[in-house]
Amino acid sequence: MPGPSFDLNGIIPSILETSPELCVVIARRNPYLSCIKIGRIKIPSALSGDPTPVSRNLDPLTHPFAKARERARALNAAKLDRMFAKPFIGSLDGHIDGVYSLAKRPGVLNLIASGAGDGGIIVHDLPTRSKLLRFPGAHKGVVSGLCFTEDGRLLSCGVDRLVKLWDGMTTSDEPLVTFSGSTAFNAVDHHRSDQLFATGSNVVHIWDKNKSSPISTLSFPTSTENVTALKFNWSESSVLATTGTDRTFTLYDIRTAKAERRLVLNFRCNALSWNPTFPTRILLASEDHNLYTFDVRNLSKPTAAYRGHVAAVMSCDWSPTGEEFASGGWDRTLRIWREQERTSRDIYHGKRMQRIFATTYTNDSRFILTGSDDGNVRMWKARASERLGVTHGRDVAARQYRDKLREQWKHDTEVGRINRRRYLPKSVYRAAQTKTEMIRARQDREGRLRESGAKEGEAKTEISKVVIQEQE
Amino acid sequence: MDALIEAGNKADRKRRRSYGPPKDSSVPQSRDSPLDYKGKGKETAKQPVKPAEETDAVVASISRNTTVPRTLSKLGSKTPKTEVKLENNKFTPWAFQHKLHHQARWREEAQEALEDVEILKTEERGVMAAEGLMERTFKMTQDDIVNSIGEEQRRYRKEWKLDGGAYRSRYSKNGRHIAIAGKRGHVASFDWLTGKMHCELELRETCRDITYLNDHSHFAVAQKQHVYIYDQQGIELHRLREHIDITRLEYLPYHWLLVSVGNPGVLRYHDTSIGRVVATHKTKLGACQSMAQNPHNAVIYLGHQNGTVTLWTPNLDEPAVKLLAHLGGVTSLGVDPSTSGRYLATSGMDGKVKVWDCRNWKGCVREWEQRGTGHAEVDWSQKGFLGVASGGTVNVYTPPSIITEHRGSPPLYLTHPIPHRPLISARFCPYTDMLTIGHANGLSSIIVPGAGEPTFDSSEVDPFESKKMRREREVHNLLDKIQPDLIALDPDFVGTVAEPEAQDEFADPLHVASHRLPRWEKLKRAGMPDPGMTSASANEAKKASRQGREDDDMEIGYSASDTSESEYEVDEVDNGGGGEAPVVRRKKKKSALKAYLKKAGGNVVDPTVARIKAKMEMRRKEIQLARIKERQAMVHREPSALDRFRRPPRL
Repeated sequence: MPGPSFDLNGIIPSILETSPELCVVIARRNPYLSCIKIGRIKIPSALSGDPTPVSRNLDPLTHPFAKARERARALNAAKLDRMFAKPFIGSLDGHIDGVYSLAKRPGVLNLIASGAGDGGIIVHDLPTRSKLLRFPGAHKGVVSGLCFTEDGRLLSCGVDRLVKLWDGMTTSDEPLVTFSGSTAFNAVDHHRSDQLFATGSNVVHIWDKNKSSPISTLSFPTSTENVTALKFNWSESSVLATTGTDRTFTLYDIRTAKAERRLVLNFRCNALSWNPTFPTRILLASEDHNLYTFDVRNLSKPTAAYRGHVAAVMSCDWSPTGEEFASGGWDRTLRIWREQERTSRDIYHGKRMQRIFATTYTNDSRFILTGSDDGNVRMWKARASERLGVTHGRDVAARQYRDKLREQWKHDTEVGRINRRRYLPKSVYRAAQTKTEMIRARQDREGRLRESGAKEGEAKTEISKVVIQEQE
Repeated sequence: MDALIEAGNKADRKRRRSYGPPKDSSVPQSRDSPLDYKGKGKETAKQPVKPAEETDAVVASISRNTTVPRTLSKLGSKTPKTEVKLENNKFTPWAFQHKLHHQARWREEAQEALEDVEILKTEERGVMAAEGLMERTFKMTQDDIVNSIGEEQRRYRKEWKLDGGAYRSRYSKNGRHIAIAGKRGHVASFDWLTGKMHCELELRETCRDITYLNDHSHFAVAQKQHVYIYDQQGIELHRLREHIDITRLEYLPYHWLLVSVGNPGVLRYHDTSIGRVVATHKTKLGACQSMAQNPHNAVIYLGHQNGTVTLWTPNLDEPAVKLLAHLGGVTSLGVDPSTSGRYLATSGMDGKVKVWDCRNWKGCVREWEQRGTGHAEVDWSQKGFLGVASGGTVNVYTPPSIITEHRGSPPLYLTHPIPHRPLISARFCPYTDMLTIGHANGLSSIIVPGAGEPTFDSSEVDPFESKKMRREREVHNLLDKIQPDLIALDPDFVGTVAEPEAQDEFADPLHVASHRLPRWEKLKRAGMPDPGMTSASANEAKKASRQGREDDDMEIGYSASDTSESEYEVDEVDNGGGGEAPVVRRKKKKSALKAYLKKAGGNVVDPTVARIKAKMEMRRKEIQLARIKERQAMVHREPSALDRFRRPPRL
């Protein structure tokens, strides 16, 4: 239907129509913005279905109260974030006893292997939360270490002095290979590329997968340790780090088959993890309730201490991005930390969750898995308020905007309070209070002694008290 | 091992390089901003297309249904042109340095994006300029102007002949809708651009003012007794009983506050989102006939009958500023939106129009006699034009001359006679070059070229918004609502660092809760002298303390210090004049009065107890003062032979 014609000149005023004496122009608008109806004539501004035309004026005068409104938005973002914080996804059951070891397969997102106190091993499929493979009674007693080999097979060690290699594809009662040692094994880790793996008992053994006895034995000359954890570095793959029960942390080079450095710490460490993106950085989970990161180029002092747990830290793992890590402790909490930040970013706990002995990030760094005393493997979101499932790009942009706002306004009293507040189990909360009081009393006492002159010498910071001795 | 360390060094260097300054600054940076194609198309076209991205089947298959979020686009991925220099790089944490570089990078990119947006501005501001030397703009009549402009703009010039008494009007925030209220009760709300009437009401009682709320879907009318809220269809939604005999209404859109003042002289802030009065201030200056808001800090300006102008915020019971502006009542007020509320125009019964600088209230910037007699109305346009409707004319003045200090009237920009006295309202239309005057015979719109802001920001207001956009905007505005407590003269105080409170040497530690103090401070408070003190001074301090206690005992019969949790007594071991630290021995003391004070406590305020406590407080301060004086005196002591046994002084 042909619409009635209209005078375009009337819509877009022209400078040509001026009086001879005076130049008069009235404010003139972009014609595409002004889709208006005059009388019964509708002037089409754009084709139907086009996005609504927008106009921008960045003059601050047209945006009054910009800061106050942004703060209101930040406050809402903080509240929304806490409202949607539901980090627990589900638990993977199947073990009869507690879960003491977890292993993820490099390069694969959906697989996780868990080893329990009853000697059983299960390989879980995460998306369906089902059990892909079961090896009941793989070991007699606790499965103390688990890891995937480079070709997808599963390596397990136990306190029954055996290391077993399982086919990671099919369930079978019998392992592919069994390696036997003389003492109970506490940890196992596979070399990144070679057919080698290392086990930790009272010494460190290096094994070739094709040989039945260890190819070399590593130990520090004066050591009486019992190895608690052991990890190969993935960038410089011949470097091996171990922690021992005699409060030591040792770095070995398997090419020279000897210890390079050893640190004697004030407390023993239960777990360690190499930073996946920054090869010289290592994380130690200590019995003194703290975690420490070290730069292996300078071992005299930790680069940072992470305080927050109220009992020994039993496990730790870096996020694959290398910016965050998770730690599980004897205090039944899982904490997530950012590198170089002193307090934890988040704390997860569950009513039925017991002490956490194994923690691992998934390879996409979105989920954290914990194995605890109660026999369940629990799956958590790494970002508590993240929405699972397919999200629209606009949603992602909105979430990122909210995150940025929370970050920018975190020093605001109200926003910061909402951001930081976490409800803890009463036992943890009380323990933290007591601990703070004790630490404060100790510091006060030291300060008083120093003031009175009873204690001399330079005051040492807490972080420099961690390393007692560095040996070469 | 050495290999690892070497590898680590390499990685470290690599990281540093990634955010350091670019190696070769002559290489042009590629621009990935979505606004890039404007004017820079040639440069981008020259750059080679990456074949990998083009041929990737997976990317191609999902790219139709996928958009990369703006925040994930490559904006902000470059290295900053200017390197952030820190004073002491060695001791600055790595993460902090990284953050600074990142911020610098974002700032630069944002600046570039801003320049791009400026290019996209296509709107032109209106203007009226005299060509010859003998020509004057104010000689142009409205007919001349109408004849010299396009047909669409001619619609701005309008005469509405109405017989509801003198009319007051108000534009909606986007300038598209106008609400009018006649003195005798004729109320209407309509879209002036298309002429679409939303509603028309005959209220049959006095209507003194009208204002839109958040948008044109609701409006409030100050009627004979109360304030009423109507919706777009003219259905009465609320009667605000708290607001009695109201003469003027204002609406603070970002705080959702309806502000009213009336003949009782009470200023009320009514939160329209929760429906409660959040603040009521008695002005104590009688009936009030004029009110204005500062759109940039939401401060309310009131003009009173005795010539005073007062500035109000919800959280202050007293006016923030009180100013004697006129000899005679203030008839009208206006705040300049083009200078973020820096200038205020007032008109008074003394026949004067004055312009004030809000940063310096010492006298006005400019004042002049209004043209004609009677009640004058002032209003500022978005671009800082000042319209004064008085007598039988409307006069418009332009910015720089209004606020420059000079005697007499600023040069006139435009004038228009309106024979229908009185002229009781003047309103510039936002985003349009239009001024609407309400008078006894209805309303007149005149064209004022250059008065309005030509470019609107559709994230704030949009004259062309659809119904759906209006609804969404309402929800977003509600989510971004600012709390009334945040209204202050300086709107930018939000997000700034609070100034530290002044430290009072004596008063402060006593106000801190005991458990928050360090242990040693607690002990000090308990009356135990500093262990670092020398024996002699400790002795004296002890004596002084005892003396103080005895004095107290004599007068009020008890021992001092009721706040301490435990009492300490200092005993000194004499080991031949050496400055040994005193041995602390715990000792229980009689505390009859303490018990008495405790018993007398609770909710009862006993004057005796209060007196005793005040006395003890004074005593304690005296002791502390004496101790500090002593310590200062110690520094200038005569040297003695026994000094060799002393411990080194504390730092």
